[in-house]
Amino acid sequence: MKREKEWDLHERILGKEPTASVDLFLTFMDPLFRMLKRQTKCSDDDAHDSAIDALFAYLKEPDKFDPGKGSMSAYLVQIARYKAWDRYRSSSARAQREEKMRVQVEVEPPPPNVSLEEYVEMKQLVERLVRKIEALGLDDRDQACIRLIITDSRSTESWAEVLGLTHLPQDQMRQVVKRHYDRLMKRLKSLCKEDPDEES
Amino acid sequence: MKNPDWLKRAAERSTVEPGMLGNVFGTYQVLEDCTAEALAEELGCTLDTLNLLALCRRPEGDAFIEQVKDICRRFDVTPSALVSVLRRVEVMDALDTDASNGETSSDRGPLLLAAKDRPRDGGRKP
Repeated sequence: MKREKEWDLHERILGKEPTASVDLFLTFMDPLFRMLKRQTKCSDDDAHDSAIDALFAYLKEPDKFDPGKGSMSAYLVQIARYKAWDRYRSSSARAQREEKMRVQVEVEPPPPNVSLEEYVEMKQLVERLVRKIEALGLDDRDQACIRLIITDSRSTESWAEVLGLTHLPQDQMRQVVKRHYDRLMKRLKSLCKEDPDEES
Repeated sequence: MKNPDWLKRAAERSTVEPGMLGNVFGTYQVLEDCTAEALAEELGCTLDTLNLLALCRRPEGDAFIEQVKDICRRFDVTPSALVSVLRRVEVMDALDTDASNGETSSDRGPLLLAAKDRPRDGGRKP
């Protein structure tokens, strides 16, 4: 398209001429679609959507386009490429998340009373927590105790076994186990507070 | 002219773009509980023309009438029909803004529901 025609269309859009946006679509949709198909790996639907996104983005703020810096086609191509890339990234991330979820569920299916989404979220949360705990450099004994906390094993005997306290009288054993339990819970709580929204 | 493949998709997208006629049509369809076909019939045009109309800027301000005339000339639509759709949505926008103390809600809340409850022919002249 000739520069003069592009300039004229841009002026009409800046002047808020109501049908200029239709001409923008009729002029640029097909070239943008062809360019996206040629230069990116996107599907027909994604190419159409990215071209549409680009034109609406321009219509929203037409004065951002500076004709002194280049042609309108080049400007729109740049936006469309960015939109297509953005779309590709989100769909790849979504595909990766779905694949990860599929693998997790295949290896270890959720219990019947837990929804698939809850189960995967829970597993991811635990994985994150385990990574953080590993980074703390705890000794084997403390790590074993944390496994007990995660699996909700609260019996004094299990703890005493892990801590090597089975020789102690019951009262004393309970006291020492409680002390270890409280200490580790405090550490876990502060670990969770450090970055509650952290994403893996 | 053969209508392009992307036209329907772009028109659908325009319903969420403030300032586009498609946005007005989307709101109108919800208010009146009518299909795109019914709206096209109301405007006296084909579905393809309705999709092209959706990609026009919404007429506004001092040039409102001139802009409506421009659109109608180009797409062969009766101005009174288009103005009637625009005014209906404008009134709801204004009421909605008042109702939400100056904030325009995106889902239009109770007023929209109230409008939807109104019988289909309730506001029309005989």
